[in-house]
Amino acid sequence: MKNHFLRRLILLALLALAGTPAFAAPVIIGHKGLAAEKLTVASVKAVFLGKKVAWDSGGRVILAVLKGGPVAEDFLKANVEQTASGFNNHWRRLAMTGGGTAPKVFEKEEDLRKFVAETPGAIGFVDSANADASVVVLTPGA
Amino acid sequence: MYGAMKLLTYLSLHARSKGACVVLGACLAAAAHAAIPVGSSNVQIGGFFSQGYLYSSDNNYPTADKGGTWDFREMAFNASTTVGDHLRIGGQVFAQRLGALGADKVVLDWAVLDYNVSPAFGLRLGRVKYPKGLYGEALDLDVVRPYVFLPGAVYSPILRDFSASFDGGMVYGTIEAGRSSFDYKVFYGDIPMSPEKGVAEFYNNSGLYAAPGVAALNMDSVAGGQLTWNTPVSGLKFVYSYSAYRNLATDGPFFAYPPINLHSNFPRFSWNTYSGEYAWNNWVFAAEWQRCGGDINYGAAPLMPTVYDRSGWDGWYAAASRRLNDKFEVGAYYGDLEQRFSARPSSDPVVHQRDTSVSVRYDVNEHLLFKIEAHRIDGVYQTFDTARIPNPAATRQDQTTVFAVKTTLSF
Repeated sequence: MKNHFLRRLILLALLALAGTPAFAAPVIIGHKGLAAEKLTVASVKAVFLGKKVAWDSGGRVILAVLKGGPVAEDFLKANVEQTASGFNNHWRRLAMTGGGTAPKVFEKEEDLRKFVAETPGAIGFVDSANADASVVVLTPGA
Repeated sequence: MYGAMKLLTYLSLHARSKGACVVLGACLAAAAHAAIPVGSSNVQIGGFFSQGYLYSSDNNYPTADKGGTWDFREMAFNASTTVGDHLRIGGQVFAQRLGALGADKVVLDWAVLDYNVSPAFGLRLGRVKYPKGLYGEALDLDVVRPYVFLPGAVYSPILRDFSASFDGGMVYGTIEAGRSSFDYKVFYGDIPMSPEKGVAEFYNNSGLYAAPGVAALNMDSVAGGQLTWNTPVSGLKFVYSYSAYRNLATDGPFFAYPPINLHSNFPRFSWNTYSGEYAWNNWVFAAEWQRCGGDINYGAAPLMPTVYDRSGWDGWYAAASRRLNDKFEVGAYYGDLEQRFSARPSSDPVVHQRDTSVSVRYDVNEHLLFKIEAHRIDGVYQTFDTARIPNPAATRQDQTTVFAVKTTLSF
Protein backbone atom coordinates (compact mmCIF):
# COMPACT_ATOMS: atom_id res chain seq x y z
CA MET A 1 0.00 0.00 0.00
CA LYS A 2 2.81 2.37 1.03
CA ASN A 3 4.91 1.47 -2.05
CA HIS A 4 1.92 1.99 -4.29
CA PHE A 5 1.39 5.45 -2.82
CA LEU A 6 5.07 6.34 -3.34
CA ARG A 7 5.00 5.17 -6.95
CA ARG A 8 1.96 7.37 -7.62
CA LEU A 9 3.69 10.31 -5.95
CA ILE A 10 6.82 9.89 -8.08
CA LEU A 11 4.70 9.55 -11.19
CA LEU A 12 2.85 12.74 -10.33
CA ALA A 13 6.13 14.56 -9.75
CA LEU A 14 7.48 13.40 -13.11
CA LEU A 15 4.27 14.51 -14.83
CA ALA A 16 4.53 17.91 -13.13
CA LEU A 17 8.12 18.29 -14.29
CA ALA A 18 7.18 17.29 -17.81
CA GLY A 19 4.49 19.96 -17.80
CA THR A 20 6.85 22.69 -16.63
CA PRO A 21 8.20 24.87 -19.43
CA ALA A 22 11.83 23.88 -19.26
CA PHE A 23 14.81 25.95 -20.34
CA ALA A 24 18.40 24.85 -20.53
CA ALA A 25 20.47 27.79 -19.37
CA PRO A 26 20.78 31.45 -20.31
CA VAL A 27 23.67 32.37 -22.57
CA ILE A 28 25.08 35.72 -23.54
CA ILE A 29 24.66 36.52 -27.19
CA GLY A 30 26.23 39.32 -29.16
CA HIS A 31 26.32 40.81 -32.61
CA LYS A 32 28.81 38.96 -34.81
CA GLY A 33 31.09 41.99 -34.73
CA LEU A 34 31.74 41.23 -31.05
CA ALA A 35 33.22 37.78 -31.71
CA ALA A 36 36.73 39.00 -30.80
CA GLU A 37 35.60 40.82 -27.63
CA LYS A 38 37.20 39.41 -24.48
CA LEU A 39 34.64 39.35 -21.69
CA THR A 40 35.23 38.62 -18.03
CA VAL A 41 32.73 38.02 -15.26
CA ALA A 42 33.40 41.57 -14.03
CA SER A 43 33.05 43.14 -17.46
CA VAL A 44 29.74 41.35 -18.10
CA LYS A 45 28.42 42.80 -14.85
CA ALA A 46 29.78 46.25 -15.79
CA VAL A 47 28.12 46.05 -19.20
CA PHE A 48 24.70 45.07 -17.89
CA LEU A 49 24.80 47.65 -15.09
CA GLY A 50 25.66 50.44 -17.54
CA LYS A 51 29.17 51.07 -16.20
CA LYS A 52 30.91 49.94 -19.37
CA VAL A 53 29.39 51.79 -22.33
CA ALA A 54 31.93 51.11 -25.10
CA TRP A 55 33.53 47.91 -26.40
CA ASP A 56 37.29 47.46 -26.22
CA SER A 57 37.25 46.75 -29.94
CA GLY A 58 35.30 49.96 -30.60
CA GLY A 59 31.63 50.81 -30.81
CA ARG A 60 28.96 51.59 -28.27
CA VAL A 61 27.43 48.91 -26.06
CA ILE A 62 23.78 48.37 -26.96
CA LEU A 63 21.98 46.39 -24.28
CA ALA A 64 19.06 44.10 -25.00
CA VAL A 65 17.22 42.41 -22.14
CA LEU A 66 14.16 40.28 -21.61
CA LYS A 67 11.30 41.90 -19.76
CA GLY A 68 11.04 39.09 -17.25
CA GLY A 69 10.59 35.36 -16.87
CA PRO A 70 12.81 32.52 -15.68
CA VAL A 71 15.57 33.11 -18.25
CA ALA A 72 15.89 36.75 -17.17
CA GLU A 73 15.75 35.87 -13.48
CA ASP A 74 18.42 33.18 -13.87
CA PHE A 75 20.71 35.32 -15.99
CA LEU A 76 20.46 38.43 -13.82
CA LYS A 77 20.91 36.53 -10.58
CA ALA A 78 23.98 34.73 -11.91
CA ASN A 79 25.65 37.63 -13.70
CA VAL A 80 24.40 40.85 -12.11
CA GLU A 81 23.43 39.57 -8.65
CA GLN A 82 19.99 41.17 -8.91
CA THR A 83 16.40 40.09 -9.33
CA ALA A 84 14.59 41.19 -12.48
CA SER A 85 12.68 43.70 -10.36
CA GLY A 86 15.90 45.06 -8.84
CA PHE A 87 17.52 45.25 -12.28
CA ASN A 88 14.55 47.18 -13.69
CA ASN A 89 14.74 49.61 -10.76
CA HIS A 90 18.47 50.05 -11.28
CA TRP A 91 17.91 51.10 -14.89
CA ARG A 92 14.92 53.27 -14.11
CA ARG A 93 17.09 55.15 -11.64
CA LEU A 94 19.90 55.60 -14.14
CA ALA A 95 17.69 56.61 -17.06
CA MET A 96 15.58 59.03 -15.01
CA THR A 97 18.51 60.72 -13.29
CA GLY A 98 20.88 61.24 -16.18
CA GLY A 99 23.04 58.25 -15.37
CA GLY A 100 22.63 56.03 -18.40
CA THR A 101 20.80 54.89 -21.51
CA ALA A 102 18.26 52.22 -20.68
CA PRO A 103 18.41 48.79 -22.37
CA LYS A 104 16.09 47.76 -25.16
CA VAL A 105 13.48 45.52 -23.58
CA PHE A 106 11.93 42.54 -25.35
CA GLU A 107 9.03 40.27 -24.52
CA LYS A 108 10.20 37.41 -26.74
CA GLU A 109 13.61 35.83 -27.03
CA GLU A 110 13.25 35.55 -30.82
CA ASP A 111 12.79 39.32 -31.11
CA LEU A 112 15.76 39.97 -28.83
CA ARG A 113 17.98 37.61 -30.84
CA LYS A 114 16.91 39.27 -34.10
CA PHE A 115 17.70 42.71 -32.67
CA VAL A 116 21.14 41.59 -31.49
CA ALA A 117 21.87 39.98 -34.84
CA GLU A 118 20.99 43.17 -36.72
CA THR A 119 22.50 45.78 -34.37
CA PRO A 120 26.26 46.35 -34.26
CA GLY A 121 27.46 46.50 -30.65
CA ALA A 122 24.37 44.76 -29.29
CA ILE A 123 24.57 42.24 -26.48
CA GLY A 124 21.81 40.34 -24.70
CA PHE A 125 20.87 36.99 -23.29
CA VAL A 126 18.54 34.17 -24.28
CA ASP A 127 17.99 30.56 -23.41
CA SER A 128 20.78 28.50 -25.01
CA ALA A 129 18.19 26.67 -27.10
CA ASN A 130 17.33 29.98 -28.78
CA ALA A 131 20.87 31.03 -29.70
CA ASP A 132 21.50 30.37 -33.39
CA ALA A 133 24.12 31.16 -36.01
CA SER A 134 22.84 34.71 -36.55
CA VAL A 135 24.60 35.78 -33.31
CA VAL A 136 27.74 34.84 -31.41
CA VAL A 137 27.60 33.22 -28.01
CA LEU A 138 29.94 35.08 -25.68
CA THR A 139 31.48 33.18 -22.80
CA PRO A 140 33.12 35.27 -20.09
CA GLY A 141 36.54 34.22 -18.90
CA ALA A 142 37.72 34.35 -15.32
CA MET B 1 16.01 64.17 -31.25
CA TYR B 2 15.81 67.84 -32.22
CA GLY B 3 12.11 67.94 -31.45
CA ALA B 4 12.53 66.41 -28.01
CA MET B 5 15.36 68.75 -27.03
CA LYS B 6 13.43 71.71 -28.39
CA LEU B 7 10.46 70.70 -26.25
CA LEU B 8 12.67 70.39 -23.17
CA THR B 9 14.21 73.79 -23.80
CA TYR B 10 10.85 75.40 -24.44
CA LEU B 11 9.30 73.94 -21.31
CA SER B 12 12.19 74.85 -19.07
CA LEU B 13 12.42 78.42 -20.33
CA HIS B 14 8.84 79.39 -20.96
CA ALA B 15 6.30 77.03 -19.48
CA ARG B 16 5.96 78.26 -15.90
CA SER B 17 2.22 78.14 -15.61
CA LYS B 18 -0.10 75.55 -14.17
CA GLY B 19 -1.71 75.26 -17.59
CA ALA B 20 1.56 74.32 -19.19
CA CYS B 21 2.06 71.64 -16.56
CA VAL B 22 -1.34 70.21 -17.36
CA VAL B 23 -0.34 70.11 -21.04
CA LEU B 24 2.87 68.37 -20.08
CA GLY B 25 0.93 65.87 -18.01
CA ALA B 26 -1.42 65.23 -20.92
CA CYS B 27 1.57 64.65 -23.20
CA LEU B 28 2.96 62.14 -20.74
CA ALA B 29 -0.34 60.37 -20.43
CA ALA B 30 -0.76 60.23 -24.20
CA ALA B 31 2.77 58.96 -24.64
CA ALA B 32 2.28 56.32 -21.98
CA HIS B 33 -0.90 55.18 -23.69
CA ALA B 34 0.94 54.84 -26.98
CA ALA B 35 2.94 51.73 -26.12
CA ILE B 36 6.23 52.78 -24.65
CA PRO B 37 9.17 52.98 -25.28
CA VAL B 38 8.82 55.97 -27.56
CA GLY B 39 11.53 57.54 -29.65
CA SER B 40 13.86 56.75 -32.47
CA SER B 41 16.62 54.18 -32.18
CA ASN B 42 19.12 56.60 -30.68
CA VAL B 43 16.84 58.82 -28.62
CA GLN B 44 15.19 57.77 -25.41
CA ILE B 45 12.41 59.71 -23.81
CA GLY B 46 10.81 59.07 -20.47
CA GLY B 47 8.98 60.70 -17.65
CA PHE B 48 6.27 60.46 -15.07
CA PHE B 49 3.20 62.21 -13.77
CA SER B 50 1.91 61.71 -10.26
CA GLN B 51 -1.04 63.04 -8.30
CA GLY B 52 -1.58 62.47 -4.64
CA TYR B 53 -3.73 63.38 -1.69
CA LEU B 54 -2.36 64.29 1.73
CA TYR B 55 -4.24 64.36 4.99
CA SER B 56 -2.89 65.37 8.38
CA SER B 57 -4.91 64.99 11.56
CA ASP B 58 -3.29 67.83 13.53
CA ASN B 59 -0.20 69.63 12.28
CA ASN B 60 0.57 70.85 8.81
CA TYR B 61 3.31 68.38 7.95
CA PRO B 62 5.16 68.12 5.65
CA THR B 63 3.15 70.94 4.14
CA ALA B 64 -0.25 72.59 4.56
CA ASP B 65 -2.33 69.40 4.63
CA LYS B 66 -4.34 69.57 7.85
CA GLY B 67 -7.80 68.36 6.88
CA GLY B 68 -6.56 67.19 3.48
CA THR B 69 -5.14 68.62 0.26
CA TRP B 70 -4.83 67.61 -3.37
CA ASP B 71 -1.88 69.98 -3.81
CA PHE B 72 0.52 67.11 -4.08
CA ARG B 73 1.85 66.23 -7.54
CA GLU B 74 5.01 65.86 -9.56
CA MET B 75 5.80 65.56 -13.23
CA ALA B 76 8.91 65.10 -15.30
CA PHE B 77 9.86 64.62 -18.91
CA ASN B 78 13.31 63.61 -20.10
CA ALA B 79 15.16 62.91 -23.32
CA SER B 80 18.65 61.63 -23.95
CA THR B 81 20.80 60.41 -26.79
CA THR B 82 24.29 59.11 -27.42
CA VAL B 83 26.97 60.60 -29.64
CA GLY B 84 29.80 58.31 -30.63
CA ASP B 85 31.07 55.55 -28.38
CA HIS B 86 31.47 57.42 -25.10
CA LEU B 87 29.35 60.59 -25.04
CA ARG B 88 25.76 60.83 -23.84
CA ILE B 89 23.67 63.98 -23.57
CA GLY B 90 20.29 64.44 -22.00
CA GLY B 91 18.06 66.49 -19.78
CA GLN B 92 14.87 66.47 -17.74
CA VAL B 93 12.33 69.12 -16.84
CA PHE B 94 10.46 68.75 -13.59
CA ALA B 95 7.52 70.41 -11.87
CA GLN B 96 6.15 69.88 -8.40
CA ARG B 97 3.47 71.08 -6.05
CA LEU B 98 3.74 70.19 -2.38
CA GLY B 99 1.20 72.44 -0.72
CA ALA B 100 2.43 75.98 -1.28
CA LEU B 101 5.87 74.77 -2.39
CA GLY B 102 6.83 74.26 -6.00
CA ALA B 103 3.72 75.88 -7.48
CA ASP B 104 3.86 73.58 -10.53
CA LYS B 105 6.72 75.67 -11.85
CA VAL B 106 8.66 73.84 -14.53
CA VAL B 107 12.37 73.77 -13.80
CA LEU B 108 15.36 72.12 -15.38
CA ASP B 109 15.98 69.14 -13.10
CA TRP B 110 19.08 67.79 -14.78
CA ALA B 111 20.89 68.33 -18.07
CA VAL B 112 24.19 66.61 -18.62
CA LEU B 113 27.03 65.94 -20.99
CA ASP B 114 28.35 62.57 -19.84
CA TYR B 115 31.65 61.28 -21.20
CA ASN B 116 32.32 57.74 -19.99
CA VAL B 117 35.95 56.94 -20.77
CA SER B 118 35.90 53.54 -19.10
CA PRO B 119 34.16 51.83 -16.18
CA ALA B 120 36.86 53.35 -13.96
CA PHE B 121 36.46 56.94 -15.09
CA GLY B 122 33.73 59.18 -16.43
CA LEU B 123 33.00 62.89 -16.44
CA ARG B 124 29.55 64.46 -16.14
CA LEU B 125 29.03 68.19 -16.69
CA GLY B 126 25.97 70.41 -16.49
CA ARG B 127 23.11 70.27 -14.01
CA VAL B 128 23.93 67.00 -12.29
CA LYS B 129 21.90 64.98 -9.77
CA TYR B 130 23.26 65.45 -6.26
CA PRO B 131 24.60 62.21 -4.74
CA LYS B 132 23.67 62.08 -1.07
CA GLY B 133 22.85 58.83 0.68
CA LEU B 134 21.29 55.80 -0.97
CA TYR B 135 18.45 57.62 -2.71
CA GLY B 136 19.49 61.28 -3.03
CA GLU B 137 19.74 61.08 -6.81
CA ALA B 138 16.35 59.37 -7.10
CA LEU B 139 14.24 61.51 -4.76
CA ASP B 140 11.31 61.70 -7.18
CA LEU B 141 11.25 58.17 -8.51
CA ASP B 142 8.09 56.61 -7.18
CA VAL B 143 8.57 53.60 -9.42
CA VAL B 144 11.62 52.33 -7.58
CA ARG B 145 10.18 52.12 -4.05
CA PRO B 146 6.99 51.36 -2.14
CA TYR B 147 7.08 54.58 -0.11
CA VAL B 148 5.25 57.80 -0.93
CA PHE B 149 7.78 59.74 1.13
CA LEU B 150 11.35 58.67 1.66
CA PRO B 151 12.23 58.76 5.38
CA GLY B 152 12.14 62.44 6.32
CA ALA B 153 14.88 62.00 8.91
CA VAL B 154 17.38 61.84 6.03
CA TYR B 155 15.38 63.01 2.99
CA SER B 156 13.37 66.06 4.03
CA PRO B 157 10.53 66.57 1.53
CA ILE B 158 10.81 70.31 2.18
CA LEU B 159 14.37 70.31 0.91
CA ARG B 160 13.65 68.46 -2.36
CA ASP B 161 14.22 71.47 -4.61
CA PHE B 162 17.43 72.26 -2.72
CA SER B 163 18.84 68.73 -2.72
CA ALA B 164 17.99 67.48 -6.20
CA SER B 165 20.86 68.71 -8.35
CA PHE B 166 23.77 71.11 -8.64
CA ASP B 167 25.39 73.03 -11.49
CA GLY B 168 28.94 71.89 -12.06
CA GLY B 169 30.88 68.75 -12.74
CA MET B 170 31.36 65.26 -11.36
CA VAL B 171 33.88 62.53 -11.99
CA TYR B 172 32.78 58.99 -11.32
CA GLY B 173 33.79 55.41 -11.82
CA THR B 174 34.11 51.91 -10.46
CA ILE B 175 37.26 50.27 -9.14
CA GLU B 176 37.25 46.48 -9.04
CA ALA B 177 38.85 44.93 -5.96
CA GLY B 178 38.65 41.16 -6.06
CA ARG B 179 35.11 40.10 -5.23
CA SER B 180 34.27 43.65 -4.15
CA SER B 181 34.05 46.86 -6.09
CA PHE B 182 34.03 50.52 -5.16
CA ASP B 183 31.94 53.15 -6.94
CA TYR B 184 33.17 56.69 -6.46
CA LYS B 185 31.77 60.12 -7.27
CA VAL B 186 33.52 63.44 -6.67
CA PHE B 187 31.79 66.68 -7.54
CA TYR B 188 31.99 70.46 -7.39
CA GLY B 189 29.53 73.19 -8.30
CA ASP B 190 26.81 75.32 -6.82
CA ILE B 191 23.09 75.05 -6.15
CA PRO B 192 20.81 77.75 -7.54
CA MET B 193 18.55 78.97 -4.73
CA SER B 194 15.62 81.33 -4.35
CA PRO B 195 13.14 82.33 -1.63
CA GLU B 196 10.48 80.20 -3.34
CA LYS B 197 12.36 77.02 -2.51
CA GLY B 198 11.58 74.90 0.49
CA VAL B 199 14.93 75.62 2.13
CA ALA B 200 13.67 79.18 2.76
CA GLU B 201 11.25 77.75 5.32
CA PHE B 202 14.16 76.80 7.58
CA TYR B 203 15.05 80.51 7.75
CA ASN B 204 11.48 81.83 7.83
CA ASN B 205 10.75 79.51 10.75
CA SER B 206 13.52 81.14 12.80
CA GLY B 207 11.37 84.21 13.40
CA LEU B 208 14.24 86.53 12.52
CA TYR B 209 12.78 87.72 9.22
CA ALA B 210 9.74 89.93 8.79
CA ALA B 211 7.06 89.01 6.26
CA PRO B 212 7.30 87.99 3.48
CA GLY B 213 10.44 86.29 4.79
CA VAL B 214 13.95 85.71 3.57
CA ALA B 215 14.53 87.60 0.31
CA ALA B 216 17.78 86.15 -1.03
CA LEU B 217 19.70 82.90 -0.61
CA ASN B 218 22.97 81.92 -2.22
CA MET B 219 26.10 79.88 -1.75
CA ASP B 220 29.62 80.10 -3.12
CA SER B 221 29.93 76.41 -3.86
CA VAL B 222 29.04 72.83 -3.02
CA ALA B 223 31.70 70.15 -3.07
CA GLY B 224 31.64 66.54 -2.04
CA GLY B 225 31.85 62.91 -2.89
CA GLN B 226 30.35 59.51 -2.44
CA LEU B 227 32.00 56.13 -2.00
CA THR B 228 30.01 52.91 -2.38
CA TRP B 229 31.45 49.58 -1.30
CA ASN B 230 29.75 46.77 -3.18
CA THR B 231 30.67 43.96 -0.81
CA PRO B 232 31.39 40.33 -1.73
CA VAL B 233 28.01 39.48 -0.19
CA SER B 234 25.51 39.60 -3.02
CA GLY B 235 23.09 42.52 -2.61
CA LEU B 236 24.93 44.14 0.31
CA LYS B 237 26.46 47.59 -0.06
CA PHE B 238 27.64 50.39 2.15
CA VAL B 239 27.78 54.03 1.14
CA TYR B 240 29.45 57.09 2.59
CA SER B 241 28.43 60.51 1.27
CA TYR B 242 29.96 63.84 2.16
CA SER B 243 29.21 67.31 0.89
CA ALA B 244 29.73 70.83 2.12
CA TYR B 245 28.43 74.23 1.15
CA ARG B 246 30.72 77.24 1.37
CA ASN B 247 29.19 80.54 2.44
CA LEU B 248 25.54 79.56 2.54
CA ALA B 249 24.15 83.06 3.03
CA THR B 250 20.77 84.76 3.31
CA ASP B 251 19.39 88.30 3.42
CA GLY B 252 15.98 89.65 4.29
CA PRO B 253 14.00 92.17 6.33
CA PHE B 254 14.84 92.12 10.03
CA PHE B 255 11.72 91.24 12.04
CA ALA B 256 12.23 94.05 14.62
CA TYR B 257 12.69 96.74 12.01
CA PRO B 258 12.04 95.56 8.42
CA PRO B 259 13.92 98.41 6.66
CA ILE B 260 17.11 96.92 8.13
CA ASN B 261 18.62 93.88 6.43
CA LEU B 262 19.40 90.76 8.44
CA HIS B 263 22.31 88.84 6.99
CA SER B 264 23.21 85.27 7.92
CA ASN B 265 26.04 83.07 6.78
CA PHE B 266 27.23 79.52 7.26
CA PRO B 267 30.91 79.71 6.25
CA ARG B 268 30.70 75.94 5.94
CA PHE B 269 27.62 73.69 6.19
CA SER B 270 28.42 69.99 5.85
CA TRP B 271 26.50 66.73 5.36
CA ASN B 272 27.83 63.32 6.38
CA THR B 273 25.69 60.32 5.52
CA TYR B 274 26.46 56.68 6.31
CA SER B 275 24.24 54.17 4.54
CA GLY B 276 23.75 50.45 4.20
CA GLU B 277 21.41 48.49 1.96
CA TYR B 278 20.85 44.76 1.65
CA ALA B 279 18.72 43.37 -1.18
CA TRP B 280 17.90 39.75 -0.45
CA ASN B 281 15.46 37.88 -2.66
CA ASN B 282 12.38 40.12 -2.71
CA TRP B 283 13.40 42.03 0.42
CA VAL B 284 15.24 45.33 0.64
CA PHE B 285 16.62 46.42 4.01
CA ALA B 286 18.09 49.89 4.35
CA ALA B 287 19.42 52.07 7.12
CA GLU B 288 21.07 55.48 7.05
CA TRP B 289 22.49 57.92 9.56
CA GLN B 290 23.09 61.52 8.68
CA ARG B 291 24.66 64.45 10.49
CA CYS B 292 24.53 67.96 9.11
CA GLY B 293 25.35 71.36 10.42
CA GLY B 294 27.82 74.17 10.75
CA ASP B 295 28.69 77.40 12.48
CA ILE B 296 26.40 80.30 11.62
CA ASN B 297 26.73 84.02 12.12
CA TYR B 298 23.89 86.48 11.71
CA GLY B 299 23.29 90.11 12.46
CA ALA B 300 21.31 93.20 11.49
CA ALA B 301 23.66 96.15 11.86
CA PRO B 302 23.33 98.57 13.49
CA LEU B 303 20.39 97.23 15.52
CA MET B 304 21.66 93.72 16.22
CA PRO B 305 25.34 92.87 16.54
CA THR B 306 26.58 89.72 14.85
CA VAL B 307 25.68 86.56 16.74
CA TYR B 308 27.82 83.43 16.44
CA ASP B 309 25.98 80.16 16.86
CA ARG B 310 25.82 76.57 15.63
CA SER B 311 22.98 74.82 13.84
CA GLY B 312 22.28 71.36 12.48
CA TRP B 313 20.57 68.06 13.07
CA ASP B 314 21.09 64.29 13.21
CA GLY B 315 18.76 61.88 11.49
CA TRP B 316 18.58 58.14 11.02
CA TYR B 317 16.12 55.53 9.87
CA ALA B 318 15.74 51.80 9.36
CA ALA B 319 13.50 50.54 6.58
CA ALA B 320 12.35 47.21 5.17
CA SER B 321 10.33 46.52 2.07
CA ARG B 322 9.18 43.38 0.36
CA ARG B 323 7.78 42.74 -3.09
CA LEU B 324 5.02 40.20 -2.57
CA ASN B 325 4.25 39.53 -6.22
CA ASP B 326 3.98 41.36 -9.54
CA LYS B 327 1.24 43.56 -8.14
CA PHE B 328 1.96 44.28 -4.49
CA GLU B 329 4.91 45.64 -2.53
CA VAL B 330 4.86 46.62 1.13
CA GLY B 331 7.27 48.66 3.20
CA ALA B 332 7.77 50.19 6.61
CA TYR B 333 10.30 52.41 8.31
CA TYR B 334 11.09 54.16 11.53
CA GLY B 335 12.99 57.43 11.44
CA ASP B 336 14.31 59.75 14.11
CA LEU B 337 15.34 63.36 13.55
CA GLU B 338 16.99 65.26 16.40
CA GLN B 339 18.08 68.87 16.65
CA ARG B 340 21.74 69.35 17.53
CA PHE B 341 23.15 72.06 19.78
CA SER B 342 19.93 72.43 21.77
CA ALA B 343 19.81 72.98 25.52
CA ARG B 344 16.56 71.00 25.65
CA PRO B 345 16.62 67.24 26.32
CA SER B 346 16.00 64.99 23.32
CA SER B 347 12.77 63.82 24.96
CA ASP B 348 11.35 67.33 24.38
CA PRO B 349 9.00 67.13 21.38
CA VAL B 350 10.32 70.49 20.15
CA VAL B 351 13.72 68.97 19.33
CA HIS B 352 12.76 65.63 17.86
CA GLN B 353 10.60 64.12 15.15
CA ARG B 354 10.03 60.37 15.25
CA ASP B 355 8.20 58.94 12.29
CA THR B 356 6.71 55.44 12.07
CA SER B 357 5.43 54.67 8.60
CA VAL B 358 3.81 51.80 6.69
CA SER B 359 3.20 51.71 2.94
CA VAL B 360 1.45 49.54 0.39
CA ARG B 361 2.10 49.79 -3.34
CA TYR B 362 -0.08 48.31 -6.07
CA ASP B 363 1.15 48.09 -9.65
CA VAL B 364 -1.74 48.14 -12.09
CA ASN B 365 0.74 47.52 -14.90
CA GLU B 366 4.33 48.46 -15.61
CA HIS B 367 3.35 52.11 -16.18
CA LEU B 368 0.71 52.82 -13.55
CA LEU B 369 0.91 52.39 -9.78
CA PHE B 370 -0.97 53.35 -6.65
CA LYS B 371 0.41 53.84 -3.15
CA ILE B 372 -1.12 54.35 0.24
CA GLU B 373 0.89 55.28 3.30
CA ALA B 374 0.34 56.16 6.95
CA HIS B 375 2.66 58.04 9.30
CA ARG B 376 2.52 58.47 13.05
CA ILE B 377 4.78 61.39 13.85
CA ASP B 378 5.89 62.12 17.38
CA GLY B 379 7.48 65.54 18.00
CA VAL B 380 7.40 68.82 16.13
CA TYR B 381 11.01 69.41 15.14
CA GLN B 382 11.01 70.79 11.56
CA THR B 383 7.26 71.20 11.76
CA PHE B 384 7.44 74.80 10.61
CA ASP B 385 5.29 77.76 11.41
CA THR B 386 5.57 80.01 8.37
CA ALA B 387 3.25 81.76 5.96
CA ARG B 388 3.35 78.77 3.58
CA ILE B 389 3.25 76.07 6.27
CA PRO B 390 1.29 77.53 9.19
CA ASN B 391 1.45 75.77 12.56
CA PRO B 392 0.63 78.38 15.23
CA ALA B 393 1.86 77.39 18.68
CA ALA B 394 -1.71 77.59 19.99
CA THR B 395 -2.89 74.73 17.77
CA ARG B 396 0.28 72.72 17.25
CA GLN B 397 0.16 69.22 18.71
CA ASP B 398 3.05 67.05 19.85
CA GLN B 399 1.82 64.19 17.69
CA THR B 400 0.17 64.03 14.32
CA THR B 401 -0.99 61.36 11.89
CA VAL B 402 -0.44 61.78 8.17
CA PHE B 403 -2.05 59.73 5.40
CA ALA B 404 -0.85 59.86 1.81
CA VAL B 405 -2.26 58.30 -1.33
CA LYS B 406 -0.58 58.72 -4.65
CA THR B 407 -0.81 57.44 -8.19
CA THR B 408 2.04 57.64 -10.66
CA LEU B 409 2.07 57.16 -14.39
CA SER B 410 5.56 56.58 -15.73
CA PHE B 411 7.12 55.69 -19.03
